[in-house]
Amino acid sequence: MAQMVTSGTSPEGPRPSYMYKVVLLGSMSVGKSSLAYRYVKNDFRELLPTVGCSFFTQVLELDEATVKFEIWDTAGQEKYQSVCHLYYRDAHAALLVYDIANKQTFSRAKLWLEELEKKFLPDEIVIALVGNKTDLAAEREVTTEEGEDFARTKGLLFMETSAKSNHQVNDVFMAIVQELLRREKEKAPRPSPHGRSTVDLRASGARTRCCRS
Amino acid sequence: MNLKSERRGIHVDQSELLCKKGCGYYGNPAWQGFCSKCWREEYHKARQKQIQEDWELAERLQREEEEAYASSQSTQGAQSLTFSKFEEKKTNEKTRKVTTVKKFFTASSRAGAKKALAGKLKEIQEAKAPSPSIHRQASIETDRVSKEFIEFIRTYQKPGQDIYKQCKLFLDTMSHKRDLSIEEQSECAQDFYQNVADRLQTRWKVPPEKVEKAMDEVEKYIMTRQYKYVFCPETTDDEKKDLAVQKRIRALHWVTPQMLCVPVSEEIPEVSDMVVKAITDIIEMDSKRVPRDKLACITKCSKHIFNAIKITKNEPASADDFLPTLIYIVLKGNPPRLQSNIQYITRFCNPSRLMTGEDGYYFTNLCCAVAFIEKLDAQSLNLSQEDFDRFMTGQTSPKKQESDSFSPDVCLGVKQMCKSLDLLSQLNERQERIVSEAKKLEKDLIDWTDGITKEVEDIVEKYPLEIKPKSQALAAIDSENVENDKLPPPLQPQVYAG
Repeated sequence: MAQMVTSGTSPEGPRPSYMYKVVLLGSMSVGKSSLAYRYVKNDFRELLPTVGCSFFTQVLELDEATVKFEIWDTAGQEKYQSVCHLYYRDAHAALLVYDIANKQTFSRAKLWLEELEKKFLPDEIVIALVGNKTDLAAEREVTTEEGEDFARTKGLLFMETSAKSNHQVNDVFMAIVQELLRREKEKAPRPSPHGRSTVDLRASGARTRCCRS
Repeated sequence: MNLKSERRGIHVDQSELLCKKGCGYYGNPAWQGFCSKCWREEYHKARQKQIQEDWELAERLQREEEEAYASSQSTQGAQSLTFSKFEEKKTNEKTRKVTTVKKFFTASSRAGAKKALAGKLKEIQEAKAPSPSIHRQASIETDRVSKEFIEFIRTYQKPGQDIYKQCKLFLDTMSHKRDLSIEEQSECAQDFYQNVADRLQTRWKVPPEKVEKAMDEVEKYIMTRQYKYVFCPETTDDEKKDLAVQKRIRALHWVTPQMLCVPVSEEIPEVSDMVVKAITDIIEMDSKRVPRDKLACITKCSKHIFNAIKITKNEPASADDFLPTLIYIVLKGNPPRLQSNIQYITRFCNPSRLMTGEDGYYFTNLCCAVAFIEKLDAQSLNLSQEDFDRFMTGQTSPKKQESDSFSPDVCLGVKQMCKSLDLLSQLNERQERIVSEAKKLEKDLIDWTDGITKEVEDIVEKYPLEIKPKSQALAAIDSENVENDKLPPPLQPQVYAG
């Protein structure tokens, strides 16, 4: 799995630090930006950020590691789908967001998944299916079961959220972190005795560059 | 009389029509009285002479410049290494020029067309004349960067010295690897970044933030020097791609913000200001030599775009808004050597900066924008295929919608004028409509009176007025009173005295 690992401030420290790139995929106005904004700023656009909200970073100090999230928002319009593969190159995780009150966005999410499956092997990327806008439950068009079933068959993480009412937003990202860290452990079952994690950057594909095309 | 003199004016002797050189063919005033063949020979000779002269002049200038540079270098003393580099660059430059001149000769003997020749010559002259100053400027910049780098690296003490040594070594190796393909050179540079970063981290135990800072400086130092060898190198088709993109963007000049669903209204002066700034930034990218500086231009451009969207929509922009606007900015700005710049950044930027972080994100967006522009079709602009084809071939252009279609650099006066013109044409249209309506009304009125007249006439015709002679009727009445005279006489007033 491609990832950048930089040692913490003290390289001998017990906690490794990881950097993960997360891409947000989904149709237009399903709430991709709001979701990220809610997660990073814990706010629903009440406070206007200085610049736009399409690129975010978030640092998590967990017990086992320091994790830096880099969240890349993408343009959801259908016409940009052909160029969007540039966005998720070298991504570690992807959030497939759909609107529970809009059936069409759910089928688009399925299309996104097909795209992702073309570019990544299943163990290369953590994918979470997110049904957003649970605050619009009255207008629901996609049932929770539908989402759950689809996620189960495809081996995705699944959660329903509401960026507006801050429902389970944090949980989605936490689930992703846990999954990423779990895979990290799987990959290196026996860490070195002093717990120092230095990953050979050259082997980790850090040199694969973007936009070669 | 007049006609006669004119005739006399254009009359020419047979001998005047022949080639001045006397080869027997007819000459042409456009070729100064030579026939085409002799003219070509003459012209060619003159041009060759001039080229030779220009060439000598350029060489003299270069020599002077080199001398000046050498003397300034000897005063500085310490930087003899850069001088040798400079020498090398000069020779490199010279060989290139010789080939250009050669190219010119072959082309000229073949083409011969006067216009093409003049154009080519002008190009060469232009290329030659300013080149010394460009070189001087470039070397000044290189020197400045070197100085800054040395100063910076001093703050790192021992690791700094090590890095400096590594950099020198790298530049030296690279100077022997110019024949390698650009991909291999790129690999070398990437390996070098990796090695230096590793070295700093593991051998010298430099903290990550400081490593990052040092890496930025290393990149700046080596790429300022490598730039001219590895930016848009002749071994690749980068230049061809540049031209293709440029042509494509030019062909798409008619695309309006509405077609791309750009959430930016240039009507607002602040927004159009931001748009101008964004365009300036993206164009400026080409003038930077260090990949990181180029990235910084893209990021600056993106920030201006975000501001423009924020002012228009009054809420922060998301990626759904950003990408279309960036595409619009790229279409509007048509930044020079776009593909070359993207390729150069991809090949020689420190990978940690390209794959992650804000700069990397915006760079990816730019790549998406360019990829989209290359693929753009009728559907992605919500147009019918016929309309798209017609716009692309330049047969028609979409009807300009008020001042939305003005580029922001058009001055206010012109905008006002265009608006007034619009208004006038609208008024004119209305007036014409009124006149035609009035004429119609007039006609209607005439028709109406005519109609009524005709109707009346018809009725009159249908029911002719027969007036019986009055006297006869009266007589008849009287005549009926046959016993009139039998009636008692009318009563007469009688006066009674009493």
